[in-house]
Amino acid sequence: VTALARRWWRGLCRGLALVSLASAAGVAADGATEVPTSDGRPTFSAEERARILAHGPWPPPAASDPGNRFANRPDTIALGQRLFFDQALSPDGRLSCASCHLPGHAFADGRARSQGRVTLERNAPSLWNSVHERWWGWDGAADSLWSQAIRPLLDPRELASHPAHLRRLLQEQPELRCRWQRSFGMPLPADDADLLVLVAKALGAFVGTLVSQPTPFDQFRDALARQDVQAAARYPADAQRGLQLFIGRGRCQLCHAGPRFSHGEFGDIGAGFFVRPGVVDPGRHGGILALRASAYNLLSPHADAPGDAAVKTRHVQLQHRNFGEFKVPTLRNVALSGPYLHDGRLATLAEVVRHYSELDLNRLHADGERLLEPLRLNPGEQQDLLAFLRSLSDPAALRWQPKALPACR
Amino acid sequence: MTRAAVRARRCACLAVAALATLAFLSAPQAMAAAVAGTPAQDARSDCGGMLDAKVRQVIRSTRHHLAYAPRQGPIVQGRPFSLDIVVCPQGSASMPIALRVQADMPAHGHGMNYQPTVRSMGDGRYRADGLMLHMAGRWRLQFELSADGRLERLVQVVDLP
Repeated sequence: VTALARRWWRGLCRGLALVSLASAAGVAADGATEVPTSDGRPTFSAEERARILAHGPWPPPAASDPGNRFANRPDTIALGQRLFFDQALSPDGRLSCASCHLPGHAFADGRARSQGRVTLERNAPSLWNSVHERWWGWDGAADSLWSQAIRPLLDPRELASHPAHLRRLLQEQPELRCRWQRSFGMPLPADDADLLVLVAKALGAFVGTLVSQPTPFDQFRDALARQDVQAAARYPADAQRGLQLFIGRGRCQLCHAGPRFSHGEFGDIGAGFFVRPGVVDPGRHGGILALRASAYNLLSPHADAPGDAAVKTRHVQLQHRNFGEFKVPTLRNVALSGPYLHDGRLATLAEVVRHYSELDLNRLHADGERLLEPLRLNPGEQQDLLAFLRSLSDPAALRWQPKALPACR
Repeated sequence: MTRAAVRARRCACLAVAALATLAFLSAPQAMAAAVAGTPAQDARSDCGGMLDAKVRQVIRSTRHHLAYAPRQGPIVQGRPFSLDIVVCPQGSASMPIALRVQADMPAHGHGMNYQPTVRSMGDGRYRADGLMLHMAGRWRLQFELSADGRLERLVQVVDLP
């Protein structure tokens, strides 16, 4: 009977499961696109299912701050957390990293443009999942988390710190001195640049721990992957329709690709790049020039054996079209990290969706990508796309609490 | 000659010129459609036989065969890769004095964001580093060979899911 009957029975069960999954999650079992089901859930073709699966699994394999050999040391992460929230990092004690990257704002600040000592020119990006990026900053001027940390630390408009101040701080505070010793196993280096780099590597190690948890979208995606009918059916119909727009007519997934919902490169989306009349933000063009000029990039002696991670830095190409391009941001936690675009010019996610719906092609670079077209979404479609984008938020992200650090004296 | 006849002759001349230009432009290109990572089953060329057969691809023109294989397995969107390349001159053609590698997405009007470097390893073998196809869709991988005072462009389509 038995082996044959069992195989037949297993096959029948699998077939039935597939059919019921197809109806619950709106999946076309034969791979063809079908009309939406009566409960408003769309059907997904085999090609669409493959595109959905490409946005996971989440979290991806662990990543590490490139060129930072201390990145995974618990003592370095602890020092980094301690420094991240310490306003003493700025000489006048007014600002810390957390002034613009607040846990309650998904490690952004909720402002259009961040407020340092002056109002800055760009929006503070969320730090969630930043360890999985290829380039850091809206212009990608940094090729590692740690080298990114150096810029705001030294910028006179931001923390306005300097190595002599950091040295004093780390020498005078017994707790910091203790954590430094535990983290790096050495006294403060005599060289200012080396000191600055180690402070930045501690900050990079801490920021690298901020990896968000699976979202309602991930649960749907994983349910599709394992053909779990009940779990797939829990994903709301409007989010499913929005997802279908995202990977279909919207072609959003071309740039917002993969598990991070970003291909990690840069683009011009017709947002305009005037900081104020007569002053432009060169975006990626300036970012590449700054990267090449940086004494702290992955090709510098300060990078610890970056290996393949330095390939991008060695080969990145400066092109005219980079002018006014900005990084394609991850969409994970996007609903938690507004305002939007590099200068926060769009206050809400609904405005972002409208931007793409009514895109003005005349504002795009003449020599840029021929990729974007106005999506002309009707109000219902805009709501569906918003429902999908909101489903990319980790419900626990806003409840993040710093780890209690063991005493160090 | 009537006006109509003059016009007809002018049209014919234009058509011939257009066809000749088209032939000239397309002659140096060998187009071969392939999906990245598909094993090359090329019985007609043993060029690059030492490359990993699982990922080896061969592009042929009358003057050169060019075999390449990604060093890190199949080409994947967003992952930097290197290519091992072997050039095999055909007939009286010489070994190229220079080789350039590029890639672009014709439908989107952009190339790579990275500039690959090509090193000659001798005996027609090359290594290209620093390639990265950052977007899903159809790319053209282009190999530009300088040999015998001519430029030859060998092109292969790579479809990334």
